[in-house]
Amino acid sequence: MKIQESMPATKVERSAKFVKTGFQIGGNYIKHYSKKLFNPDLSRDELNEDNASDIYNSLSELKGSALKIAQMLSMDRNMLPKAYVNKFSQSQYNAPPLSGPLITRTFIKSFGKPPGKIFDSFNPVSTNAASIGQVHQATLKGKKLAVKVQYPGVASSISSDLKMVKPFAFRLLGVSEKELNVYIKEVEERLLEETDYKLEVRRSIEFSKACSVLKNTVFPTYYPKLSSEKIITMDWMEGLHLKEFLQTNPSQQLRNKIGQALWDFYNFQQHELKAVHADPHPGNFLITPDEKLAIIDFGCIKVIPKDFYDPFFDLVWNGLMNDKKAAIDAFRKLELIQPNDTAQQIEFYYKSYKEMISLFALPYASKTFDFSKPKFFEDLYAWSDKITKMAEFKQPRGVKHFIYINRTNFGLYMILNDLKATVNTQTYKPLSFNGEILKQEKKRVAKNHGV
Amino acid sequence: MAKATNKPVITPEQIRDAYIDYVLTNNEPPKSVYDFAKKLGITEADFYNYFASFIAIEKSVWAILTIEAVEKIKEQEIWAQYSSREKILSFFYSYIELLKTKRSFIIYTWKKHEKRLSAPVILSDAKPIFENFAEDVIQDGLDSGELAQRKFFTKRYKDGLWMQFLFIINFWAEDDSNDFEKTDEAIEKGINVAFDLFQRSPIDNLFEYGKFLARNGKLKEKMGI
Repeated sequence: MKIQESMPATKVERSAKFVKTGFQIGGNYIKHYSKKLFNPDLSRDELNEDNASDIYNSLSELKGSALKIAQMLSMDRNMLPKAYVNKFSQSQYNAPPLSGPLITRTFIKSFGKPPGKIFDSFNPVSTNAASIGQVHQATLKGKKLAVKVQYPGVASSISSDLKMVKPFAFRLLGVSEKELNVYIKEVEERLLEETDYKLEVRRSIEFSKACSVLKNTVFPTYYPKLSSEKIITMDWMEGLHLKEFLQTNPSQQLRNKIGQALWDFYNFQQHELKAVHADPHPGNFLITPDEKLAIIDFGCIKVIPKDFYDPFFDLVWNGLMNDKKAAIDAFRKLELIQPNDTAQQIEFYYKSYKEMISLFALPYASKTFDFSKPKFFEDLYAWSDKITKMAEFKQPRGVKHFIYINRTNFGLYMILNDLKATVNTQTYKPLSFNGEILKQEKKRVAKNHGV
Repeated sequence: MAKATNKPVITPEQIRDAYIDYVLTNNEPPKSVYDFAKKLGITEADFYNYFASFIAIEKSVWAILTIEAVEKIKEQEIWAQYSSREKILSFFYSYIELLKTKRSFIIYTWKKHEKRLSAPVILSDAKPIFENFAEDVIQDGLDSGELAQRKFFTKRYKDGLWMQFLFIINFWAEDDSNDFEKTDEAIEKGINVAFDLFQRSPIDNLFEYGKFLARNGKLKEKMGI
């Protein structure tokens, strides 16, 4: 255990060094070194920060995912220095802005015309960075538009970046490549989808249409004709990002309203559409001046397959959890309990996952839930801290779908916590709530176990 | 086709196109100028009117594309607003786009005359065109303060850009990514590095600090400490 304590730091150091010498040949890094040469006072923190930036500028595709893998699969988040965690959770590519000529080139490749010939006006200086591109303001026929331009080579770099970061991530997380591969693959798939802007436009239109039934949620209009593999054109949404919104000291009532909109947005997707916007990063939302929630990025969509949805949400929703046999059966389906587990292990994992999923499901358990209360989050952290110390959780468990479903729901919880919102959690219930699936499941389990 | 005048009408463009066609079809240059002229239905003299050799044709293809790229980017409305950095970036993006239209032939000539580091023979006509352009752009950058004026080194800026030129062509020749996306990255990153170096940087500060120390060190000596 003692060795364990000191391992992570050296591991990180070693990995960081490995990254230093191995990955970065870019000018940025050379710059940093020259800075360091002239200013040896650059603090260790700053160095870490810089290292983290350097790594994740090119590898930040792993952003939330590696961190989430670590968190969700019960690995220690304290293992990573804070700077790394911050970078990890920052859902931005942080690439240097594209030059004007390259933007022009991207437009010519896509439409055969420079942006000035397509829009009435086009601001060549980007207003902000999107996850894998940057956003420009433009106008056309009196309409203010947001034009997202993707960095070149992002798609082709993701696979190679993941390959490069793999050994690093494995060492950092202390698990073998084989164990993590299935999860890495899931992440890679999502990330590659994110680089397909044509797909994003199609999904954005589909999802905003499907979600138009939701109150207090608005979506920009997308313009497929002004979009391509590398460019997305949509309405410019006025509004404040979450952080700015909170600085305006919104009333509790307004917080609740926005929180409810978020809750409904996610749960409507999970339970009605069975596919969910899986990137609950604060940067993907705006709060509009007329107090509505604007959703501005549909890059990451996780389709929830039935063989995951049914067992998982049956568990989340009351009832099944207390039926031990049914619960264990569901755990098996979700691969939380594995075929070669011993009776003892089954007992152990049943208890642990019951505890975890009960915690996860707590907001659903009452009519309304107050996300401002620190208790819930303290319990979550305490639980994750506890299990990181257990050898039993050293290896990741569970089907790959957990990564994005957990990321989505915990991400949502975190944002609601930031908002200090109280929401009605019963608006969109898991479809199995009517007991249909539950009943069938119970029957089946009873039959199987000869009860 | 023209009436029976003694001089068959042929333009250098026609000779060039015929040569490109011949080379790409046969994957080698014609055996002799005589043979090539005969196939074209012109005399050797007609050929030598415009070109001294086959190599001269190949050089002219590069030179013409370089001129075209420079002319094309200067026509852009936004040109005047561009910084020096952006002007050079713009040149390379347009240049690569133009090279693409004759990629097979360009690659053929590039590979045939492969000579690392020093300028390949094939670029001897294109080089002064690019350098003239680069010098103008660099001068603009120096005038506006975008680039740092340094003794001795300022004159070398254009050489730095010429190295980038060779590097980018070489990269593009090997690039097998979709729509040469990686070449775009190579241009963006490479030119940015070059211009970062042309700008004021820690090196300048170090240099000045060194000068300061040298001066004040002597002062100390004189004061007899």
